[in-house]
Amino acid sequence: MDPKEVLDELRTILVTRLKFDQRRAADMTLETTLPKGVEGSIGLDSLDFIELSIAIEERFGIVMDESQDLTRHFLSFDTLARFITARTEAA
Amino acid sequence: MARVVVTGVGVVTGPVTGGREHVRAFLASSGAPVVSVRSSALDGLVDETEARRLSRICQLSVAAARIALADAGLGPGAGLGLVIGAEFGDVRSTIAFVDGYLRRGPGGLSALLFPNTVMNTMAAATAIAVTARELSLTLNAPTVAGELAIARATAAVRAGRTDAVLAGGVDEFDSILAELLADGGAPSETRGEGAGFVLLESLDVAEARGARVLGEIAGASWRAIRARPYGVGRDAASRAIAAALDEAGATSGDVGRVWVSASGDGPRDRWEQAILTEALRPARPPQTALASRTGRHAGLGALAVAAAALDDASGGPALVHAVARGGTHVALVVRNRGRATHDV
Amino acid sequence: MRRIAVTGLGVVSPFGVGTKAYWNGLSAGVCAIRPVTLIETEGFRCRIAAEVPNGIGGSLRRSRADRFALAAAREALEDAGLSRVERAEAALVVGAVGGGMLEAEAWYWERYRGSRPPSRPTPRSTLPFAHAEALGNALGLEGPRETVVMACSSGAASVALAADLIADGVVATALAGGVDALTRICFMGFNALKLLCPEPCRPFDRDRRGLSIGEGAAFVVLEDLERARARGARIYATLAGHGMTTDAYHVTAPHPDGEGMVRAMATALERARLAPKAVGYANAHGTATPQNDRIEARAIREVFGPGQLLVSSTKSMIGHTMAAAGALEAVATVLALVHEVVPPTANLETPDPDVAFDCVPRVAREAPVEYAISNSFGFGGQNVTLLFGRA
Repeated sequence: MDPKEVLDELRTILVTRLKFDQRRAADMTLETTLPKGVEGSIGLDSLDFIELSIAIEERFGIVMDESQDLTRHFLSFDTLARFITARTEAA
Repeated sequence: MARVVVTGVGVVTGPVTGGREHVRAFLASSGAPVVSVRSSALDGLVDETEARRLSRICQLSVAAARIALADAGLGPGAGLGLVIGAEFGDVRSTIAFVDGYLRRGPGGLSALLFPNTVMNTMAAATAIAVTARELSLTLNAPTVAGELAIARATAAVRAGRTDAVLAGGVDEFDSILAELLADGGAPSETRGEGAGFVLLESLDVAEARGARVLGEIAGASWRAIRARPYGVGRDAASRAIAAALDEAGATSGDVGRVWVSASGDGPRDRWEQAILTEALRPARPPQTALASRTGRHAGLGALAVAAAALDDASGGPALVHAVARGGTHVALVVRNRGRATHDV
Repeated sequence: MRRIAVTGLGVVSPFGVGTKAYWNGLSAGVCAIRPVTLIETEGFRCRIAAEVPNGIGGSLRRSRADRFALAAAREALEDAGLSRVERAEAALVVGAVGGGMLEAEAWYWERYRGSRPPSRPTPRSTLPFAHAEALGNALGLEGPRETVVMACSSGAASVALAADLIADGVVATALAGGVDALTRICFMGFNALKLLCPEPCRPFDRDRRGLSIGEGAAFVVLEDLERARARGARIYATLAGHGMTTDAYHVTAPHPDGEGMVRAMATALERARLAPKAVGYANAHGTATPQNDRIEARAIREVFGPGQLLVSSTKSMIGHTMAAAGALEAVATVLALVHEVVPPTANLETPDPDVAFDCVPRVAREAPVEYAISNSFGFGGQNVTLLFGRA
């Protein structure tokens, strides 16, 4: 799965599970940043990230190890898509 | 002991959404009950992230709290407490959370929904929205949770434990809950939904900041009257009404109007009448049942207190009265603005 | 200002029925966290909890949580030796979250799976207020009645609210406590938040990985101290002060600096007119999540200074009993004062270097303590500190 395809899946998750507006999700690109407080981000907080992790685990069949610091993978759609791609290929 | 005044009101209900002027206009109007809150009522009262993240019942609570603070002329403030009454809590989110698991297993569980399954979720969301950092309580009670929350908040301000408290309640009503209640053999009555808060402050604090006082809660008391769970009692002797009148320095003959909790549950409504007759006799002051316009919900306590405070027509203090099946029983003695400030 | 005495204790815990069984378990450092039997746990990372053993008694027509509440409340009232008339005047404040949800879930699950549902619970036996309705009626309590829902600090909040009623002169006596039975919603929710440890929880350990869920109930009888003395009641401890604050920061995460926790502890000290050094023991909220224990330890340090008092988490033995936790821990704190023994933190092998306190690893400590606090923090940033003094 290439990053673009992963982004499409993530957009769907943002609408269905994180309750983002459909149009808002359509505007998101690989460059869009995620965490609250980062300029231009979509403003996700710790609880949003847990929800996102559960959805990613369910959708991509990977396990997110919460004992490791995953912060750097959750910076933008790009970093997240790369992380997911690497993990699905490793599995 | 501090005197406790009402300095703001905010309601989001079927027939009325707004502050004191909206409540005043609503009281001067008449009409059939409107039990559901229109979605447009929340326009401009919750921000984009709140609209995404907060469940509907939390949004109702946040919106009413914001209106009440604006009505009181206060910004969000660190010195603020919050007491919220609720009967059912976030039933929709709870069912959605459970259904997620039943349909899809552990992967279908929502971390975002889970906090909503605990009934303090409205208090948590509202405390964040208005920066209420003192005590924030959620009181769960059948039918009278809003009145109970206001009584508890009044006691906190009177004792000087906090200077300002948003007090009231919120409940949501929808088809799922209606079905569960009917299946469970609950009595038929006019139920509604909505949120309502009054801002209570000590008179000293309110005067120091030049607040526009609606009225005073001069007495507040809550007790249980013996009854089986969800049943009505045989006993009609009320210690709460006597205690609230006593605290207000009033007698049963002074009461100018009673705002009753009647909502079409025949046995409970008749019990309430028996309690009032015994507590106030020989006087029979006029009564108003707001539920006939809004349906019964936990936001009504604040609406009743504001209505009593704004009522210039009735002579003497008003009694806001509520009794629930099972025996939870609340009495609030409210003086309107003229009387509240008369003997300062 | 009226002073408040604790004159009755009642407990249903993972150690069984009764205050005695509870204290025996705690003071021996026994961990009661075991594989879950009450609900299905297939597919969950964590499959353990501290369940209350069989034999609690009570009618099976009542919910499991109602039976916990009734047994604990009866013990507390009998322990205090209140007359029928005194009971009729007494306030009742119950901290609750789950209500009769365990039974409602069983029905909903069966219905969903299309099998014949067991008896149908009503919303009114499921909601948190169900316990107070049952207790009020069964025990003849006709004073002020309240059910407080404050997530994991509900049980502590009930004690604080009841104390206010006595301090304000509304009642002379109050029965206050908290109750929760294990529910699927709670178990699934904490699993979803990835806050549960697959092994018994290890508060304040460097390698802690999350909490363990427990269940139970605890009630205390609070009383105007002068009146308690006048009637010759046994006084376990005084409730010298309490603090209730809100972070107003996040729905699930505590404020990163523990700002609300600090204010709760400071308020309790202020109301008790005590200097921090008067306090010798803190029964911590101590959930064993990496975040809570780090922030709580920092908050305690800010208020009391590093190393100035013993800190332990009894959740290491009975798990996090949710709405009951604050009340169960209040009883543990009172008993620590009475017996001059501080209960340990079980499972604590490698103390976290970021925790600047002696957390009483594994073995109870003899320590005559004059004042002790019990901390409870809940979702929504709801913080309660209770401060007890030796009688």
